[in-house]
Amino acid sequence: MSLHDPRYKARIAGHLAKYPDKRSAVMPLLYIAQEAYGWVSPRGIQEVAEICEMDPTQVKSIAGFYTMYSEREKGRYWLHVCTDLPCALNGADTFYRDLREYLGVEDGGTSADGLFTVEHVMCLAACDKAPMLQCNFRYMESLDMEKMKAWIEDRRAELQAAGQGQGS
Amino acid sequence: MRLLLRGRDIPDLHRLSVYQANGGYEGLKKALTMKPAEVIDEVKASGLRGRGGAGFPAGVKWSFIPQDEPIKYVAVNADESETGTFKDREIMEGNPHQMLEGALICAWAIQATAVYIYLRGEFWDIGDLLDGCIADAAAAGFAGKDILGSGWSCPVYTHLGAGAYICGEESAMLSSLEGVLGQPRVRPPFPAQKGGGLYREATVVNNVETLTNVPWILTEGADAFRAIGTEQSAGTKVFCVSGHVPRPGNYELPLGTPFRELLVDHAGCDPDNIKAILPSGGSGPIVPGTDEVLDTPLSYEAMQGLGTILGSASIIVMDNSVDMTWVASRVTKFFKHESCGKCTPCREGTYWLDKVLDRILEGEGRPEDVQLIDNVAKNMAGTTLCALGDFAANPIIHTISNFPDDFNAHVQPKPEEEQPAARPARGGRRRRASA
Amino acid sequence: MAETVTIVVNDREYQVPAGANLVDAARSIGDLIPVFCYHPKMAPVGMCRMCLVEMGSIQRDRASGDIMLDDEGVPQVRWFPTLQTACTTNVYEGLVIRTNTEQVDDARENVLEFLLTSHPLDCPICDKGGECPLQNLTMEHGPGKTRMVFGDKLKLDKHVPLGDLVFLDEERCIQCARCVRFQDEIVGDDVLAFHERGRSLQIITNSDPGFDSYFSGNTTDICPVGALTTADFRFGARPWELTDVPSIDPWDAAGSNISLSTRLDRDAGGRAIIKRVMPRQNEYVNEIWISDKVRFGHHFTRSADRLAWPATGESRATWAEALQGAANKLREAGEDLAIIAGSGLSNEDLYALRRLAEGLGSSRLGAWPPTHGGADLVAQVGLAQGSNLGTLCRGDAVLVIASDLEEEVPLWRLRLKQARDRGALLLVANARHTRLDDFASRQLRYATGGAAEFLANLEQEDEAAHGLLRDANNLVIVAGAEGLDLAGSRALMQAAANILVETGHVGRPNNGLLSPLPGPNGMGLHYLGFTPENTLDIMANPPQTLLVAQADLLSDDPAAPEWLVKVDNIVEMTLFQDTLGDRAQVVLPIQSFAERDGSFTSGERRVQRFYRAQGPVGEALPAWQVVMRIAEVLGQGRAKSSAAAVMLEMSQQVPAFEGCRYRDLGWTEKQDPAVGEDPWYGGTALLNRGGLGVQIPADADGGEVESCAPDLPESVKSDEGKFLIVPTTRLYNRERAFRATEIVSPRVPAPFALLNPGDAQRLGVNAGGTVEIEVDDGPAVQVLARLDESIPRGSLALPRHLTTTAMPLTPAAGTVSRVNVQSAAMVQTHDA
Ligand SMILES: Cc1cc2nc3c(=O)[nH]c(=O)nc-3n(C[C@H](O)[C@H](O)[C@H](O)COP(=O)(O)O)c2cc1C
Ligand code: SF4
Ligand code: FES
Repeated sequence: MSLHDPRYKARIAGHLAKYPDKRSAVMPLLYIAQEAYGWVSPRGIQEVAEICEMDPTQVKSIAGFYTMYSEREKGRYWLHVCTDLPCALNGADTFYRDLREYLGVEDGGTSADGLFTVEHVMCLAACDKAPMLQCNFRYMESLDMEKMKAWIEDRRAELQAAGQGQGS
Repeated sequence: MRLLLRGRDIPDLHRLSVYQANGGYEGLKKALTMKPAEVIDEVKASGLRGRGGAGFPAGVKWSFIPQDEPIKYVAVNADESETGTFKDREIMEGNPHQMLEGALICAWAIQATAVYIYLRGEFWDIGDLLDGCIADAAAAGFAGKDILGSGWSCPVYTHLGAGAYICGEESAMLSSLEGVLGQPRVRPPFPAQKGGGLYREATVVNNVETLTNVPWILTEGADAFRAIGTEQSAGTKVFCVSGHVPRPGNYELPLGTPFRELLVDHAGCDPDNIKAILPSGGSGPIVPGTDEVLDTPLSYEAMQGLGTILGSASIIVMDNSVDMTWVASRVTKFFKHESCGKCTPCREGTYWLDKVLDRILEGEGRPEDVQLIDNVAKNMAGTTLCALGDFAANPIIHTISNFPDDFNAHVQPKPEEEQPAARPARGGRRRRASA
Repeated sequence: MAETVTIVVNDREYQVPAGANLVDAARSIGDLIPVFCYHPKMAPVGMCRMCLVEMGSIQRDRASGDIMLDDEGVPQVRWFPTLQTACTTNVYEGLVIRTNTEQVDDARENVLEFLLTSHPLDCPICDKGGECPLQNLTMEHGPGKTRMVFGDKLKLDKHVPLGDLVFLDEERCIQCARCVRFQDEIVGDDVLAFHERGRSLQIITNSDPGFDSYFSGNTTDICPVGALTTADFRFGARPWELTDVPSIDPWDAAGSNISLSTRLDRDAGGRAIIKRVMPRQNEYVNEIWISDKVRFGHHFTRSADRLAWPATGESRATWAEALQGAANKLREAGEDLAIIAGSGLSNEDLYALRRLAEGLGSSRLGAWPPTHGGADLVAQVGLAQGSNLGTLCRGDAVLVIASDLEEEVPLWRLRLKQARDRGALLLVANARHTRLDDFASRQLRYATGGAAEFLANLEQEDEAAHGLLRDANNLVIVAGAEGLDLAGSRALMQAAANILVETGHVGRPNNGLLSPLPGPNGMGLHYLGFTPENTLDIMANPPQTLLVAQADLLSDDPAAPEWLVKVDNIVEMTLFQDTLGDRAQVVLPIQSFAERDGSFTSGERRVQRFYRAQGPVGEALPAWQVVMRIAEVLGQGRAKSSAAAVMLEMSQQVPAFEGCRYRDLGWTEKQDPAVGEDPWYGGTALLNRGGLGVQIPADADGGEVESCAPDLPESVKSDEGKFLIVPTTRLYNRERAFRATEIVSPRVPAPFALLNPGDAQRLGVNAGGTVEIEVDDGPAVQVLARLDESIPRGSLALPRHLTTTAMPLTPAAGTVSRVNVQSAAMVQTHDA
């Protein structure tokens, strides 16, 4: 889905209106590009560059600087697990290791079903609720593996249901 | 007493009507009856110091803004990315209008033309919440065009970062807002000066918590604010307590409250099982959990006396099971990951510290490696463009000086033929119940 | 004299210019503060931290303003608690620094250690080895040995093409951002950036084609390590084996000072050949920059199609035979001789040609290509003596009209972009959008072909613009010839001259007229009497004998075959085989600029020397020598023995060249900033040893010049539904001399025409489709269509020289012609 799709028009215009300079909208637009393509694809970069009137090199540079833009394709659920000190003091390392084992992925990898990409991240300002993670930038806190397994299987089931729905 | 975390006491405080019913926007109304300079004087008189880390007096910062510039900005620092910090998040979730009101009072005081709130990228929900609050406030005449009929207009915008601690550093934050790479800039010119701020215009940058204090100061008066806390540290502070703590969380207490009261009485720690405390997230010097430390008041001046800083008051507690080499490594990983890469000592130093610490932890350390990392860290300190270089040096220098045995244990020369000794316990092995 | 302040360096007081950068100021008093990221041509960023010094200020009493003294009567200094970066400090009264303390030494050593820990041990195979700032500073300040474990070093990609011209070695990069800042600040093509962060920070480009900038090569000069190398020089030679020969840009009117780095080469039979081209610092001309065409374009000097032997008729001849043959033809012609001289010839060559013609009683001296008129006006009111485009600033104005300067004289466009950044007004007038518009303070538009009328009536056409020019402190007008025939171009130049004279913008430094005359010696042609008007006359009234010197008539002028048949004899002096094919009775090989001594006169009327860098191809001789030896055969006196001797005579015979003896041209002075001299800013070839040249005064520099109303030819209008076609210039093209530069070939586009999307729609062509263009009664060609909103309806821009032979639609005289245009698809249907 391109950024020129009508569904993004109002949002893009809203961001452009915030700033005296189009270039400032590059970050919000990169989020929209990520949403549109599922990742910050070369086409997304090109389109953001055109809208913000920047050289695509500069857009790519911004995309590469921040951890919340992914320049590679990722799963439907992007799990950012905090393993920073306060969380680590409360078992985040074990939690993260178990989670990866359960999904069968390395740090930064995507599960075989293509659903989950997991990555460890630095402190997410939820230290009192460790272990925790963000899924597609929404907080999930005070976790343990039981909760996670249930959640993961729910997602899988959901998808299967949707797939069957399509099939029938 | 809660000036900031009032959201805990008042349900639905994020709704404008509730906020107004509880004295909301009275501070702004009052400010608009005053001359901008008078507002600045009031905030100066209150002794309010910046809560973002450096503790710089807020009113003094505002007074640096040149009066006659046509365009000026307020940039609210809601990047909250320091390890162990989660106070701005709760303030904004529970009491968003008070932060907006504080920002608008600041904007009036410097006659700003717009307010930008720079939220760390992970705060998507807060961004949505604030956008709603801003719209409500604007509809009620508190923000946007012709505020409260004063003829002064000041729109408020949110901007989401995207995962970069360095964008909490004020000049990097401004660059990030401008759409250029979020790396710190050369100062001077400082943000408050023409040429140094947002879009090169004079700009006040304040932390969320700093600004959230301001409406209270306006309605209750500077003297009432000064009456809380200590001589040099007025007001309350939200202390973020995490780590090996039975009751982790935010605690809003008057500045000057002793460590012991916060950690033992409120957070439930066992005073005999505190090996070390990081009082300001990963960036401030670590202190041991001694009685001397526990009896120290949590004020800017007393913490300085301890050889550390109050900073953003993100207090990470570690019990006796924790290996400080592992702590140093974990904190170093943070700074290595977050170094923007601009300065040689920070970029290269964090990389090498991390490499050597990993090696030490894997039992491959050489006896001279402890000295080496201490020396590398000292070479980084004081040589960089922004404070991250110093922050990254602190965990090494101060964990080594306070806990040398933890390091030496890893690098003792091994007797020949003998297998590497079993690794000492690491903090991560332990699971702690959280309240 | 600029204001000065007193600063204290290592306990001694010095006077330095107020506000100067501390690194520069310290350097001027002999204290070399080491730097990596700092470059005096760019704003400081303070990122490498190499320049740390102890810093403080002398304390003054708040009330009295007196200096506060300590007990011993020594001024009190308040020191910063930590070391400060010198590069981000501008000097002020009372600044105190120490650069010789242990603390500073340690800091330097530490920063170097940090850099070296991540740097590969490539020096023995690195292109920068020998002129590498990192190497030099390591010798001076570095730690003796590494304390890190070698295996911990980061392994990175050592061969990342940033496009096809410049390569990146990621391991060597020290993240100083000089290249990124150069592209952004100096050039305005911000096609380089950092990707990722922290230790993962890497230089990237995401343009298409990669590293898309006409100035990319400069980044390899200012890179303080060997991280950026050119495809041309990469692994070509070690810098210390190279001999740097001063030379001059052979392509355009900028007259960029360059160094030809040569080496005795096995592939060249052990003889010296050019291994690379680098800028040579001349702050008046090109500072320390050159375009990539200048850097990479030298390959023609050794291309396989260079002509090596003289020939008469079909067969190879000895020089004696060839000279005799040429002399016979010329004698035969006598007065009925005409000469067409290319703008790549040196002043000395042109002088020799003129003397030869005079000796035979002919004054038919034509300049090639005959596209740009009004060089005489540059001689009258050209950019005044003592000007420096690098000093134009706030309050000044520049008008660029009828030129696509990026493509025609890229270096001027670079300098004007910077003038704009310093606050000068930059007005860009054209019928269409050109790259310079991106940097313009104001864009002015006129109808296709209407430049002269527009400028002559500027006050009525655009009063505000006229006011800006009138009121500027200093005013420079750059007038080209795009969309104009010769008369129109002359008229435009006259209109520009009139504005300059009427508004008092002549005869003072930083005021006057410039023209992007083609080739390196357009002004030399003028001063020696070769004019484009004569050329048109020669074309219209062919002589009995035509001497063609370094002018590729057939590639440039589609009509050449028609008028050349009317010439009885052709004597050709040429660099290449097959230029006039078998039409010439005598063909004489001449040397390129790289093989001999000589001088060019730049668009700023600066006479500058170039020096012999490599041996000749075959038996080729310098053109002046060929001419003088013909003259000798004709009994006109002995040939001179050296270019210097020719110039000496010229300086006595041709008033413009008075004061241009080689000794005078070889004059140099210390350049500020002194980039070429020290090992920290770039390669050793930057130092200017060959001379800064001498600027010929414009007439107005000496006194009054009157304006006169331009003779306005009627501008061409589109009619009968036909298109106006405007020949334009592309920097990278398929001209014979440039074709030899193969590394740039991928960047030369297939022949195309720019047209308005509205017209395209009407014709039924899409971008990338083909259009067929047919001149009124001439042949038709097919080219690709590119759409450009800024092209006026009914007009087409058609770049010259994108084909290897003359494009029938790009008349040499640059005229606007009426043509029929159809979508090629339609044409094909006709055929079917
Ligand atoms: C590396 C670095 C990170 C910082 N991160 C934050 C942050 O996340 N939030 C914040 O308010 N201040 C942060 N600061 C401090 C800001 O630079 C600045 O001092 C502060 O926002 C000023 O506001 P205050 O005076 O209200 O404290 C950071 C500073 C540094 C050097
Ligand atoms: S100290 Fe580190 S984070 Fe700060 S500017 Fe320098 S490199 Fe960037
Ligand atoms: S920091 Fe001054 S030269 Fe790099």
